[in-house]
Amino acid sequence: MISIEELKDLANRLKFDMSEEEYQTLQKEFEIILKQMDLIGQIENVDTVEPMTFPYPVSASWIREDVEQEGLEIEELMSNIKDRMGNFIKVPKVVG
Amino acid sequence: MSYLDKTIIEINKALKEGKTTPKELFEQSIERAKKYQNKYNSFVTITDKYEEKEYNFNNKLAGIPCAIKDNFSTKGIRTTGSSNILDNYVPVFDATAVKKLKENQINIVGKTVLDELAMGGTGTTGYTGVVKNPYDITRQAGGSSGGSAAAVASGIVPFALGSDTGDSVRKPASLCGLVGFKPTWGRISRFGLFPFAPSLDHVAYFTRSVEDSAVILESLAGQDYNDYTSSNKKVEKYYENLNKDLKGKKLVVIKEIIDSVYDNKVIACFNKSLDELEKCGAVIEYQSVDEKLLKAIYPTYMVISCAEATSNNANLDGIKFGNRQDGASIDEVMFNTRTKGFGEFIKRRFVLGSYALAKQNQEKLFLRAQKVRRLIVEKVNDLLKEYDAIVLPASGDVAPRFDSQSEKLSDNYLIAENHLAIANFAGLPSITIPMGKKEGLPIGINITGRLFDEQTTLNIAYALESKLGYKNMMGGNK
Repeated sequence: MISIEELKDLANRLKFDMSEEEYQTLQKEFEIILKQMDLIGQIENVDTVEPMTFPYPVSASWIREDVEQEGLEIEELMSNIKDRMGNFIKVPKVVG
Repeated sequence: MSYLDKTIIEINKALKEGKTTPKELFEQSIERAKKYQNKYNSFVTITDKYEEKEYNFNNKLAGIPCAIKDNFSTKGIRTTGSSNILDNYVPVFDATAVKKLKENQINIVGKTVLDELAMGGTGTTGYTGVVKNPYDITRQAGGSSGGSAAAVASGIVPFALGSDTGDSVRKPASLCGLVGFKPTWGRISRFGLFPFAPSLDHVAYFTRSVEDSAVILESLAGQDYNDYTSSNKKVEKYYENLNKDLKGKKLVVIKEIIDSVYDNKVIACFNKSLDELEKCGAVIEYQSVDEKLLKAIYPTYMVISCAEATSNNANLDGIKFGNRQDGASIDEVMFNTRTKGFGEFIKRRFVLGSYALAKQNQEKLFLRAQKVRRLIVEKVNDLLKEYDAIVLPASGDVAPRFDSQSEKLSDNYLIAENHLAIANFAGLPSITIPMGKKEGLPIGINITGRLFDEQTTLNIAYALESKLGYKNMMGGNK
């Protein structure tokens, strides 16, 4: 069984934390998902085919015309930033 | 009587004849949206802003009010993805689907609740609260596009935009008595739709009739330079070409999926639907698919979608946009923002996705899921070489109650409640329409056709709808 510590490590690498109770729920959920995944292992020939990454073969067989377009204004791009200084995003000090 | 209770085709006729106006429809729609908000919780945001314009009613969508799932970017209208992490996010551009609807002179009445960031099938995990089914408020509307489903099923709007990664429009359509259509992957641009699992994500939508569904497809379909996965295939005249004659059409039912449906009423409605399809000229046959493959649909979906989601949502850190929390370092800012911003349910999915992608598990989980996806898709495409479409119950039962628990390893759960994801694996056009009722609650049937053959898929649904008579259904007190 996957341990709470492993789950906590995975969550922290994704840059978030959960409560102890939530980790316990997740641990139970993992037990079910891993059992369900075992069903996949029982399928014949599963490892003889290539992984499928798109619903059907996709190729960017077309290239758009190189037409000049208006981009977004800086003010628009900056409009969702919580803290700014001029055209810079303000964050806690990065280097000493 | 309000013209809002009609289908788009009927409302368009009334607009042409001057019996109602876009402003009147918009105001009634907003009034209903506000009146029902406490009851069903369809909306995150009600727009309340009407702009008069020169309407051209030769365009069937001109002046029609609609609702948009809150994971489509809408310029100047807050777009949260029903996640606290985007509580204050206001997009500076429109998603292509939204832009096209605006070009067709549609009026947006609001942004609808979804399962947080579209990850979920219950309509219960959005940060502004659960969505309730207009047929019975003790039951789920389904998800993830639950708010859009409830808005159409309660008569607030005749049409709402949604997105479908596993069944997120076609399942709620079944539970709310609606037409829910997901065209071929690549048919409608996804530019500006918050990505969840791009190899499975589709733009999809709810209407209350198949005719309306055909009209909407014509307006949304087409290649978009902003989405390199959008197709340059010709967009047909889907509405004009609707045809109830199914002579020569061959339909297939997958035997093992029917066996996984335990509810007698669902089976009875389904068999009646098959009889009606035969009366329209279709030939129906049963075929078998390896049960192991069918039981693998749900875990395959979970692994692929969660893995893609983990990666796609890495940009939600509060730095460039979103609900930033304080911290002593950039790392702490991101950590606090994501810890506070994400709900429990999606955190669990992110951890699962990350686990499946980890180097030591990738071969056994992520890559193997992608291989199973290929086996399932090859099998389904083999069937579609011989048959024009696959016909199946959209769900194993009516809308579940909020407190109901499913046995996650049963055939009923793994197959009957999750087989709609096949059409996402293969990118096939897939439509759900109502096929009956059980104790007043709707039951849906699903039709899945060949790649880019939306017309046949719509025609089969159109023929069946006209035979069964379940058209323009609504729940609750309008």
